[in-house]
Amino acid sequence: MKDDEKDGKLLSLMEVRRPEAFWQRQRNAIIGAAAEKRGPSRAWLLAPAAVAALVFFLARLPGPAPEPDAQIVSTAFLEHLDLLDDMDVLEAVPENEL
Amino acid sequence: MAENPDIAGMPYGDAEDGFSRLIEEHQRQVYSMALRLTGNAAAADDITQETFISAWKHLKGFRGESSFKTWLFRIAANKVRSYWRWKKLRSWAGLGRGDGEEDSPALEDTLPDRPEGRPEQTALAADLERRVQEAINTLPPRQREVAVLRAQELGMAEIAAALGMAEGTVKAHWFEARKKLEASLGEYL
Repeated sequence: MKDDEKDGKLLSLMEVRRPEAFWQRQRNAIIGAAAEKRGPSRAWLLAPAAVAALVFFLARLPGPAPEPDAQIVSTAFLEHLDLLDDMDVLEAVPENEL
Repeated sequence: MAENPDIAGMPYGDAEDGFSRLIEEHQRQVYSMALRLTGNAAAADDITQETFISAWKHLKGFRGESSFKTWLFRIAANKVRSYWRWKKLRSWAGLGRGDGEEDSPALEDTLPDRPEGRPEQTALAADLERRVQEAINTLPPRQREVAVLRAQELGMAEIAAALGMAEGTVKAHWFEARKKLEASLGEYL
């Protein structure tokens, strides 16, 4: 079979055949829907907006807690030592028990 | 019907009549494309309806740079792609049935709702329809789009415009798709 004939046959196989009543019903449904000036679209038509909203939401999620500042730890530690200095506990302990 | 219709400026009654004629002229091709690309009759019906409603709403924005048919198919192709994105999103969120991969559309109710003819003829037609859809489903997405638009009697340049591809790319996709379809459906050719 010639290539053109084969092409034609292949394309013909891919045709979708429906009874005329099907097309008429579909046509009426489309005209009816257009006349109503439909409100909300099909949900899946909002997919691009949904993806954008999801990306925006994920971008706004708080990241991992920041590492404690080394300077703050160090200061706290020194303050703790100062407190120990102020306590009389160490002075009250006999020297041989230290 | 003119190739590039100007029905937006018509009085309401004429415009509605013009819209009806536009649907009548193109609905078979738009529905066929949507059905072959989704493998789902209900989705194809929705896509066909939404395509015509979008075209109706945006007809004033149609600049006539391409043919009306090409413009209509571009709208339909975008809606099919939105459908697949939505299916993937649902699948990702665990709401779908897990069949939402564009690489393998589900073969659902693709058969005529009122098949004509005798039962054995109907069975043969149903079997052929199923085989054809399965062969199309095995194609990679871009090859599938090109092959399905080719089946709607669009030329290479029109397909390129509708899908936003270079004409050479369309030809390469068609070459590969045809080879695979001939291999799958050889017994019917």
